Amino acid sequence: MADDLDDELRRLFSDDRLDVHVSPDATDAVLRGADRRRRRRSAMATALAVVTLVGAGIGLTQLPPSTDTTSADVLATSLPSTSSSSPPPPSISTVIVTSVVTVNPPPNPPNSTTTGSPTKPRTSVPPSPPPSETAGVGALVLGMSEADALKTKSLVEPSTPADPEGKCVAYATTSVPDNNAVIISPARGIVRLTLPSIAKTQRGIGVGSTVAEVKAAYPAATQSGTELRVEMTGTPRWTYVFETDGATVTTVRKRLNASDCPGV
Amino acid sequence: MTAVLRLESAAERGGGRAEAVGDFAEFVRVSMPGLLRYGHALTGNPHDAADLVQSVLEKVGSRWVAVQRKGDDPLAYVRRAMANTHISIWRRRRRENLVADLPDTGAVAPELSRLENEPLWQALRELPPRQRAVIVLRYYENLSEAEIADTLGISCGTVKSQSSKAMASLRTRLGKD
Repeated sequence: MADDLDDELRRLFSDDRLDVHVSPDATDAVLRGADRRRRRRSAMATALAVVTLVGAGIGLTQLPPSTDTTSADVLATSLPSTSSSSPPPPSISTVIVTSVVTVNPPPNPPNSTTTGSPTKPRTSVPPSPPPSETAGVGALVLGMSEADALKTKSLVEPSTPADPEGKCVAYATTSVPDNNAVIISPARGIVRLTLPSIAKTQRGIGVGSTVAEVKAAYPAATQSGTELRVEMTGTPRWTYVFETDGATVTTVRKRLNASDCPGV
Repeated sequence: MTAVLRLESAAERGGGRAEAVGDFAEFVRVSMPGLLRYGHALTGNPHDAADLVQSVLEKVGSRWVAVQRKGDDPLAYVRRAMANTHISIWRRRRRENLVADLPDTGAVAPELSRLENEPLWQALRELPPRQRAVIVLRYYENLSEAEIADTLGISCGTVKSQSSKAMASLRTRLGKD
């Protein structure tokens, strides 16, 4: 019985009658529509950028310069350029997981977490605490509103829609040159934070760690496709998402459990 | 931040754009027949399929450079977007219809889909769109449960339950129970 329906569904979906005639001007219509949308958006983005730059300018005149540049400067030395023409390749270096056990790391000091973070974390002596297992990355914290996140100056503007419906927005950050590094829901705030590729979790997992290492460090990890997920404690509730290429970790993200963004 | 901003807009406005537009046009030409077919399976009629493909491709095309930069297969990205867009469009429509009480039949003339006389096709029409999307992703796209979960942004458990609900109602409608 079950197989019957399976077969029938497969047969139906391979039926020629499912074909739809392509109208001759279909491609042109799409191109025109895409161009219209792009122009409309870039007009809006320009307006927003001007507002933000003016705002940033005002902010700069009132702040000591050191607080504003720390994370970007430190990380820029060890990251590929911010042009992000391709996703980070799986690391080919062997990761020697040093026991970087942090004792009471500062809980998200604003704007300065990455100041002293190791640019070469693969040394035997951890120079300073790695990002702690809190719901934050740098000055950004899961659940933070877009306005507050922008105030940290960790986001690289302009944002892009995170889903085709434009429900949520996506940003690159000053330390992660990926357009979807941070995803923000209008209702839930930040629902995704991506760790910089040089960063390690408190248990020493980062880009290049093997699937086995992840499972050893986080025995509660569950596999979902090529992802490993570990639900963490704390408020708000969040989950580590280790994206892998099947063998090694390619991206480490923190995801708000209450995310309402499609695909996040 | 400003430097990055300038770099990005310069790249978008410069020669890269013309190239990207040509590239996108080619992508549309090549993928259109397959996408319309997939849209037909998702929506149940060719008109909605055309609308869905058009609107998703417009959105993708308007930020083609960024989509390509993500490194995902653009075609897979478009298909994912179509499934999700279809589900959310339906949600919106249903809300409107609850108020307006539009007649459901008549919106689609029977001759529009050549599969209209197939009992299974009719049974599929009765499914809520998320259940239908799960079925289409599984039997049309041949995706695994985990891949379907990833595509629709739902958990594997939800995929399982939606799938079994869908199969059960298809069976009931086809008198297979």
